[in-house]
Amino acid sequence: MSTSSRIYQSSLLGESYTFFQHPSGLPVYVFPKKMTTTYALFAVDFGSVDNALDAEGRELLPDGVAHFLEHKLFSNEDGSDSFERFSAFGADANAYTSHTRTVYLFSTTERFFDSLAELVRFVTHPYFTKETVEKEQGIIGEEIRMCRDNPYDRCYYNMMAGLYQSHPVRLDICGSHASIAQITDRVLYRAYEAFYKPENMALIICGDVDPNEVLSAVDANLPVYGKQTPVVRRTVSEAPHAWQSTVREKGQVAKPVFSIGVKDTDLPADPRARLKKDVGMAILNEMLFSQAGELYNKLYDSGMISPELSADYALTRDFAFNQISGESWEPEAVLDAIKAYIGEKQQGHLSESDFERCRRIEYAEYIKSFDSTEEIANTLLSFVFEDSELFSYADIVQSITLADVEALLHSVFRDEAYTLSIIEPQEEQMGDER
Amino acid sequence: MKPIIYPIGQHASLIYIKSDRFKSELLSVSFAVPLFENTAQKNAMVMALSRRGTASFPTQALINEKLDLMYSTSISASARRLGDMHALGFSADFLGARYVAEKGGLLPDVVRMYRELLRAPLLDEHGHYTAAFVESEKQNLRDAIRAEINNPRSYAISRCRRLLCEGEGYALSLLGSEESIDALSAEDLADRYRALTETLSPVFCYVGNTDACELAALLRDAFGDFGGVGVPYSSSVHLGKGMREETAEMPLFQGKLSIGFRSDISLGHRLAPALMMLNEIFGASPASKLFMNVRERMSLCYHCSSALDLFKGTVFANCGMKVENRAVAEEAMLAQLAEIGKGNITDVEFDAARHSLANTYRQAFDNPGVLSRFYTGRAMIGDDETVTSWREKLVHVTLDEVVEAAEHLARRAVFFLKGTRDGEDEGEE
Repeated sequence: MSTSSRIYQSSLLGESYTFFQHPSGLPVYVFPKKMTTTYALFAVDFGSVDNALDAEGRELLPDGVAHFLEHKLFSNEDGSDSFERFSAFGADANAYTSHTRTVYLFSTTERFFDSLAELVRFVTHPYFTKETVEKEQGIIGEEIRMCRDNPYDRCYYNMMAGLYQSHPVRLDICGSHASIAQITDRVLYRAYEAFYKPENMALIICGDVDPNEVLSAVDANLPVYGKQTPVVRRTVSEAPHAWQSTVREKGQVAKPVFSIGVKDTDLPADPRARLKKDVGMAILNEMLFSQAGELYNKLYDSGMISPELSADYALTRDFAFNQISGESWEPEAVLDAIKAYIGEKQQGHLSESDFERCRRIEYAEYIKSFDSTEEIANTLLSFVFEDSELFSYADIVQSITLADVEALLHSVFRDEAYTLSIIEPQEEQMGDER
Repeated sequence: MKPIIYPIGQHASLIYIKSDRFKSELLSVSFAVPLFENTAQKNAMVMALSRRGTASFPTQALINEKLDLMYSTSISASARRLGDMHALGFSADFLGARYVAEKGGLLPDVVRMYRELLRAPLLDEHGHYTAAFVESEKQNLRDAIRAEINNPRSYAISRCRRLLCEGEGYALSLLGSEESIDALSAEDLADRYRALTETLSPVFCYVGNTDACELAALLRDAFGDFGGVGVPYSSSVHLGKGMREETAEMPLFQGKLSIGFRSDISLGHRLAPALMMLNEIFGASPASKLFMNVRERMSLCYHCSSALDLFKGTVFANCGMKVENRAVAEEAMLAQLAEIGKGNITDVEFDAARHSLANTYRQAFDNPGVLSRFYTGRAMIGDDETVTSWREKLVHVTLDEVVEAAEHLARRAVFFLKGTRDGEDEGEE
C-alpha cells in the first residue's frame, strides 16, 4: 500500500500543510514553517475519559491510566530514559495528558530527524515492569498531592464533578492515590493495546522540514502493524441539567476562588457544525464577559470581582461546557449577576457593534496563533481529533451571524445547567515556626 | 537579526529587531528604578492606575474597547526584578499591517496608546489620581499580596529569597506590604508618577518588519521630550555569609522546599556562562541531575528543579515532597550539587546541558517576547551582548569552568513550607 496525501492551503494566511495517510493507518500532518524551531507531536486519541475497554463499560480501567501510561512510556527496555536521548540530540521533550488525549512532543533547532525517530520509536515500544510501575506510583502520588494543593485545579475539578453525574470527564486526569495503586504493568499493557493504534493516533510536525524526509523517518521507525481492530469507546449519556448546583471546599486561598460551569449536552454530530458552535461560543463569551464589556465593568467597578475574569468554552464530540472563573468575596452574588445579565440579554438583543468587535477579536487571535510552531501543531491536533479542518475556522468566523450567536445565548445558558464551584479560605491559614 | 539601537530624543532609546517571520508585531517599553521599600508599592500602583483611565480614554472599559478594535491588541503591564532594581513597563502584541484594514497598520495606534498610558494619566483638577480608582486599586493590591499563598511553590521561593537577600532590594516584594497600603493617597501616588516620569529612561523594543526610521519618527513625536537621565543600574552581588533557615506551616498535602544559593557571579563576569551551564546540569532540564536522580531514580517528588538569576547571582533549588521526606530530599538535592563541584558530571549530562542551552537561545528567534526581554534586560545593565554571542559563550563553557563556578556558589538560606494536611484521597483526612 502507498501513502496518499492531500494539501490544504490558506490564501488569507499564506500557509499550507499536507496530510499523509500512512499505510499503517497513521495520519501524518506536515506544516512547513520557516522558523528556527521545529516542533513535533505524536498524539493518541486517548485521555482520562477513555476509562473503559468495551462499549458497555463492563471492563473499566483504573482512573488515571492514560496519564500513568504517558509517564511510563519514556522508560525503555534497556533501562534508558527517552528524556535523556532527546537531550543528547538537543531537543526539549515533554508530554501531557488531557481529558481526551495523550500527547508526546519535542521542539528542537538541530538534529530534528534523530529526535523524530526517537519520538516514533519510544511511543510505539511500550515496556513496563512491576518494579518500574511501582516506582512511578511514588512520582505520580506527589503530582496528585501537588495538584490537591493547587486551589485553581481543585476549583476546576469540583466544577466538573458538580456538572457531571457519571461522565468520566468529572474525574481527575491524574486519578487518585487509590486508583493509581490499582495500576499494574498488565493494566498498562491492556490500555496500550486498546488505544495506541495507528489509526487512533496522529503525528504532526511544524517547522522547516521536508515532508518526504518525515515520511521516510516514519517508515523507518514505525513498527509493522497487522490488521487492527477499531478502537471501542464507551458513551456515557448525561442529563442536560447540572448534577449539583454548588460545590464548596476549603483551600489555601486568601479570597474565594470560583468557577461557574454551564453544562451543554447539545453536541452536534457533524464536525463542521461543532466547529461553528465553537466559534459562536468564543464570540459570545467575548461579548458577555470580556474586559471591554458591560457586565465585567459593572462587576469590577462595584468591587465584586478581582481584575481577572476568564470565560472559555470546551466542546468535544463527547462533552461540552462553558467555564467562567475569577475571584470574589461574593461568588453567589456574581453568579446571580451573571444570570440576571444573561436573562436580560435573552429577553432583548445582543448589540451588532459588540458582535463585530468580538468577531474581529476571533479573527485576530486566529491569525496570531500562526506565529509559533508549537501553537500551530497543537491547534492542528485539536482540529484533527475533532475531524475538522484548521483553515476552515477563518471562513466560519467570517460567515457566522449575530443570529447564530443569539441562538447560542438561548440554548447554552439554561438555568438548570449551572454549577458554582467555590474554594473558600481555610480558617487555619499559616504559622511560622522560626 | 542583530538589533539596532536608535536614540529617541534625549532620554529614550529604541532597540529595533527586524523580523519577517511573524504575523504579529511586538513593541515593549521598559524602565528600571531602584527597588526600595518606600517606592516599590507606589510604582506598582502607578502602573495599575495607568490602565484604569487616561485623558482620552477615561475608563478602563474604553481603553479595553479601543484595544479590542485594534484587532485584539494586548497591552500587558510587566514588573520584574533586575538584580536590586525594579524593571517596569508594558508590552504590546498586535497584528501585522498586512492583516488589518487600517492603512499603515496598527503601530501608530499602539504608540498613541503608549503615549496615553505613560504621559496622559487621568488626573483631577488638583493633579491627583481619581479617588475611586485609587481605592479600587488599593483593594486589588491588598488582594494580590494576600493571594501569594494561593501558589505554595512560588510562595516558598519568595520566602527563601527574602531570607537569602534580606536588607537588599532583591528581597523586597514587588507589591510591597499590606500594612503600608492604607497610607497610600491619590496625591502621593500622583507625586510618585511625576517623580518616575521625570527620572525614568525608557527603553522601547520592537520586533517586526515596519521600517525602523518610520517607527523611530513615531516614537520621537510621542516621547522625544519624555523621561529623565535614568538611574544607573546597580545590584549587590556577593557570596554572602552564614546560613538562615525558616519553616512555616500551611494546611497543605505536600511540603515545599526552597534552597537558596548566592554567588559573586553575575552577567558580565567571566564565569557567568559557566554558572548558567552549572544550573542547567543541576536542575533546569529533564536531563538534569535533580530530575534524573531525585525524581526519576529516587521517586521522591514530581517537581524538582533549579532556577538561576544571573542579574543577582542567585540559584534556587525547589522541590515538593511528602513532609516526612524533607530531609532525604534536601540531602539528595545538595548531593547532586556536590557532585558537580567535584567534577562528577558525565559526558551525557554535560552535552545535554550544552545542547539544551544552545536550543533555548536558538529558539529565542522564534519568540518576540523572549527577544524583547533579553535585549531590554541587557540594555538596562549597559551590556551589548547579543543572543548569538551569548549562545556562543555558553556552548564553549568547559567542565573545568563549571567546577570553578561551583566554587563561587554558597548555600545561604533554606525555607520549608510544611504541609499539615494528612490523608491521600478525599474522605481520608
